[in-house]
Amino acid sequence: MASSLLASWLRLYPTVQVFATWTGITCAQVNSQDIPARQFFERHGGSTSGHTNNWAVLVCASRYWFNYRHMANALGMYRTVKRLGIPDSNIILMLADDVACNPRNKVPGCVYADQARSLDLYGDNIEVDYRGYEVTVENFLRVLTGRMDPSVPRSKRLLTDDRSNIFVYMTGHGGNEFLKFQDNEEISAFDIADAFEQMWQKKRYNEIFFMIDTCQANTMYSKFYSPNILATGSSDIHENSYSHENDYDIGVAVIDKFTHYILQFMEGINKTSQASMQDLFNIYDYKKFDSNAGVRSDLFGRPLTHALVTDFFGGVAQAEVLKSSLPEVRAEADFESWDTSPSSATHTDDYIVPLVLPDITDTGNSSTEPVPDNNESLFPEPHLMDLFVSARAAPGSLRGAMAGTARSWASTLIVLALVAWVCAKR
Amino acid sequence: MDAATPATQAPDPAILHTESKKTRRLIIASYWIVILLAIPLWWSTTSIERQSLPTANVLAQQERELVFPVRVHLDTSRYGGVENTILVQEVQRQLDSNRDLSEAQEMRVQILSEPSNGDTYQVSLSRGAREPAVQGRQLSLDVQTDDQSSPTVLAMQLADTIVTLLAPYTAARGSQTERVVKYAPRYRLAFTLLNEDSASGNAALTWDIRASLSKHIAPLLERLSVLHNFTVESQVQYHAPLAFDPQIVYSQDRTEYGLTQEDLTVFVNSAEWTLSSSVSNDPVLHFVLFIPSQQHSPLHILDERGHSIASTAFVLPQWGGIVILNRPSPIVSRHLAASVLDAAFVTFRYQLKALLGVPALPSHVHLADASFDGAGITDWQLDALLRRRAVENVVGTQETLQSIVRLVDQIEGMPVGLDVKSDVLGALNALEKVYAAASASSARAAQSAGAAFSLASRAFFNPGMLALLYFPPEHKYAVYAPLFASSAAPLLAAILREVLAWRRARKARNRGEHQADTTGRQKVE
Repeated sequence: MASSLLASWLRLYPTVQVFATWTGITCAQVNSQDIPARQFFERHGGSTSGHTNNWAVLVCASRYWFNYRHMANALGMYRTVKRLGIPDSNIILMLADDVACNPRNKVPGCVYADQARSLDLYGDNIEVDYRGYEVTVENFLRVLTGRMDPSVPRSKRLLTDDRSNIFVYMTGHGGNEFLKFQDNEEISAFDIADAFEQMWQKKRYNEIFFMIDTCQANTMYSKFYSPNILATGSSDIHENSYSHENDYDIGVAVIDKFTHYILQFMEGINKTSQASMQDLFNIYDYKKFDSNAGVRSDLFGRPLTHALVTDFFGGVAQAEVLKSSLPEVRAEADFESWDTSPSSATHTDDYIVPLVLPDITDTGNSSTEPVPDNNESLFPEPHLMDLFVSARAAPGSLRGAMAGTARSWASTLIVLALVAWVCAKR
Repeated sequence: MDAATPATQAPDPAILHTESKKTRRLIIASYWIVILLAIPLWWSTTSIERQSLPTANVLAQQERELVFPVRVHLDTSRYGGVENTILVQEVQRQLDSNRDLSEAQEMRVQILSEPSNGDTYQVSLSRGAREPAVQGRQLSLDVQTDDQSSPTVLAMQLADTIVTLLAPYTAARGSQTERVVKYAPRYRLAFTLLNEDSASGNAALTWDIRASLSKHIAPLLERLSVLHNFTVESQVQYHAPLAFDPQIVYSQDRTEYGLTQEDLTVFVNSAEWTLSSSVSNDPVLHFVLFIPSQQHSPLHILDERGHSIASTAFVLPQWGGIVILNRPSPIVSRHLAASVLDAAFVTFRYQLKALLGVPALPSHVHLADASFDGAGITDWQLDALLRRRAVENVVGTQETLQSIVRLVDQIEGMPVGLDVKSDVLGALNALEKVYAAASASSARAAQSAGAAFSLASRAFFNPGMLALLYFPPEHKYAVYAPLFASSAAPLLAAILREVLAWRRARKARNRGEHQADTTGRQKVE
């Protein structure tokens, strides 16, 4: 700490805060400009993911009753990935889990994501791996990097390899390049980016799909630099993510808009669905979210139209059938005609009873307004930190950077002047 | 003291009675001494331990490649049709120019005309018409007597067979790489007898698992014990609903049920089936004997055109194998005897071998009749597996060590403890052992490679290596500035004032002395 502080003091003045600009731009331009790049990446077999197992890390970084909707977000995702075939052993759910049995909960033991209370997300088969105060930045990073104490049980570990596709979902209160964990600590975009890089170095994933629903969410994936990561966020820099609806009996907002519409889309997906990630991103709409949801696909090696939703939300990708009949006991070395048959044809059978989430927007609910609930950005204006901090909010222009440097110098001068004045008195 | 002083000499109320230059300077000095003494403490408690890693050594590993010398003794004493040395030279020439071998790059094959000691493979030529057969490290190859082929053709044929036996992993078999599990020193094998619905009438409630395991699986595990350590568990489950409805297929005069290719991928109902205990962190390989309920019997696998195929077994890559057992409709017994399970367990053994990466013998080569030992792995196959796992683990170790070095260099806030350093050194040490053992024994090389990989992984996953959280410099100033700026101002001011006062006093004293001097001089004059 000491050395890094010293180093950062030394770095203070030349530090030019220009990184804020491109974070917002990347996602907006992805859909239009990377088509040649995509075609470049389109190689033989580029449509198959090459994974053999799926994992999900679902993080609700908030606690307390008034953050009910974040718990509902995470539980909604949990239910979806489980329905689509990721086993509980492959899901790491981090949840404060203090709403279902909260004394203020009018329907004890249940968590609902809609006013109609059509589906209890808490259900009867929830396996929370990190609960309550275990939901910390440290534990999250340990899950990702695999740096665990040997005594940590299997259910709390992300035991992935280079054939694993990982879905990482985060929700909570955040800001520019950070996400708050339980009003106590925060994780920055740099930390997640470094964790992913470490995973890549140790071949802990084949592909990652990173989804985050928080204010200024798109800043959280702006620092990623490791390959094969597809990222999406609910709102641009300086934008809030809003809740979708309030339940007046429960007394709080029950789900966020972004997650609500994602889950709604997911209800139309079954285990063998052929819907692509592009289909998912096509539902993004400012009118629905009241924010600019972003997608970052420049690190992702496959065209989005070929990446299936079930590559990240589904279970097993392929099965090999033993072509011959059951062999005789002794002639066992002879059969070797195995056949790889990745699932290809569309299968329309619905073997899962689809969950019906009523489309609330159709009922003309007034809660689609940007309601002044708890979902606004973390710090009240004026930004307290701006008093000390140079102008990071200035959107990265050279003038802003120079102003920042000037301000840093000015504050140092003020301190020195103070010293001189005290000395000179008398 | 106050009482003693006469009232006429009342002290100046602006000056404390305890105040003196000396006290004030002592106070200020003590503050600064505390600060100066605390700085090293603060420095040592807040800096992170970063042991230096043997970077140069790790990077040098990248250049090294593991090469196994392989010696094959060609025995033509029973053939006699051709000069031994000529044939040996010819086969050697063929092998040297072989593409598969040079691509594999993991061995240097040497053909010998004389038997030598150590792990030498033996190829014996003889006249006859039998198919090639292997036994241990021996390959007996028959050449038809009327075949007046030149040594070149014979050598080509020989070289080809030897290559397919020595290097069975070629790029052509791509699906294998996906199917084979990652190397782990320990595996857990979970065998499950899974009744879809034991109430439906055709369920099996018990099975003779011990006999079947010891008959079919144990010899294989024994054979592979040089490479892996296995834990076996088994269970019987009575209720395991499918998450979908199998398709109905009408064949002849009876109704059958079919699983399409898509159904196979979602066959395992992970939400409701508990297939293994999660007591350890070892990777689990699942083997499921599934008995469909009466409503879904008989259950078959369908091909692309919707016809049921004869096989009822399939493999989920890296996960395990599934065998569907359709029981005859009038149930004879609720117990599955070992004889009934034979077919299923032979399949399980085959699936296990496939999942662990044991290469299959080339299609035209057979196991010698007398040599079946229950495992069905010849030394040719086992050695190929050992060589492959050794190379894989050496490469994995090299990559892991490099990524540790690179990450430590790249991420400044990452601590590197003594245990990490010793693990890295241990891994490097084990790598040296691999290279040393490669020429003598592939088994020892593979074991050392496994140890090296475990050590390198342990170093990478060391819990102490979690980097400090990143905080933007602004955060640090925001935290430190209010504390330090406000306390630094009076401290600096006090010391500056003291220095100024001291200089002023010295100047005044100098002037006073000077004046005294001049007055003294005047008096003298």
